Amino acid sequence: MIKRLFILLVLVLFGVMFYNIASNYMEPTELSPLATRYVGKGPEELGAANLVTSVVVTYRGLDTLGEVTVLFLSAAAVGLLLGLSARSSGAEGQPKESKTEASELVQTTVEYLVPIIFLFGAYIFINGHLTPGGGFQGGAVIASGIMLLFLGLPHAKLRHTLLGLLESLSGFSYVLVGLLGLVLAGGFLDNRFLPLGEYGQLFSAGAIPLIYIFIGLKVGTELSAVLENFKGNNPD
Amino acid sequence: MNELLGSLVVLAGSVFLFSAGLGVLRMPDSYNRIQTGTKASTLGTILVLIGLAIYHPAWIGKLLLLIFFILLTNPVSSHALARASHRRHIRLAEETVVDKLEEHETDVAGKKTEVVEGAR
Repeated sequence: MIKRLFILLVLVLFGVMFYNIASNYMEPTELSPLATRYVGKGPEELGAANLVTSVVVTYRGLDTLGEVTVLFLSAAAVGLLLGLSARSSGAEGQPKESKTEASELVQTTVEYLVPIIFLFGAYIFINGHLTPGGGFQGGAVIASGIMLLFLGLPHAKLRHTLLGLLESLSGFSYVLVGLLGLVLAGGFLDNRFLPLGEYGQLFSAGAIPLIYIFIGLKVGTELSAVLENFKGNNPD
Repeated sequence: MNELLGSLVVLAGSVFLFSAGLGVLRMPDSYNRIQTGTKASTLGTILVLIGLAIYHPAWIGKLLLLIFFILLTNPVSSHALARASHRRHIRLAEETVVDKLEEHETDVAGKKTEVVEGAR
């Protein structure tokens, strides 16, 4: 009885709280000063046709670096935990679950489709400063290609050393580009140490495409490593 | 003229998509549902995209790529789905006359045991 009363009380309190928020809500009719600055000065300062990209990669570039770090940490944690559990269960000598082959039709399609998916992912992150999308999205598309590869060919193996090398190099280069911005231009992750180029062209917006390529490679390899860890049967 | 023609083709595609939805509701077992969902929706989607290509001739390249992608993936994914449900022993409808995959798999299994017995 007291429990029910308590739940009721919490519900009423929530109701009051949300009623206050909802009744005081006013539709914003003009941009905030910060947004006005981004929208007004962004294109001419940074030269990126996709305004979201110029905010994500340059103005708020440090946050993006943090996000990449979060992703890296979670991928590393998944690898560590699943690697531990795989090793302990392997020590008990449990028979490994047999993976049935996909049919020939699926295998052939996977072989044709995976390179196209990789190409599409690369397209997304290379054009991140021009069209919607960017490093994270392109990397996720690449990892979805790896997922398809595992579904079609369950015995496929990724080269761990190559993946690790690519991931570390791209992460390192991302920070290096940020530092170059600090030395050669206005600040950390400033994209203006490379020429801004012609607005709306592929080679424009300074270092933004470079940064997005590194982010895309890093996210793609990280998510692929996570997928491989979840797949199990690691050779080592 | 282009607009009228394109709209008509899109309409034809939507008729096929509608029949695909109807089939998913009406068909007796999952295999038949997969079958209607694939055939009719593949044709319907392609017709819609062709209609768009007639309507907006500038988009033809991208639309052709989309059609290629759908032609490649839609049949194969439903093939994989149907095989997976068959392997999971999802039941066929009672009216089913023939199950070639079952025959094939027992065939293959029979041959394998024959080979093993021959080796002994």
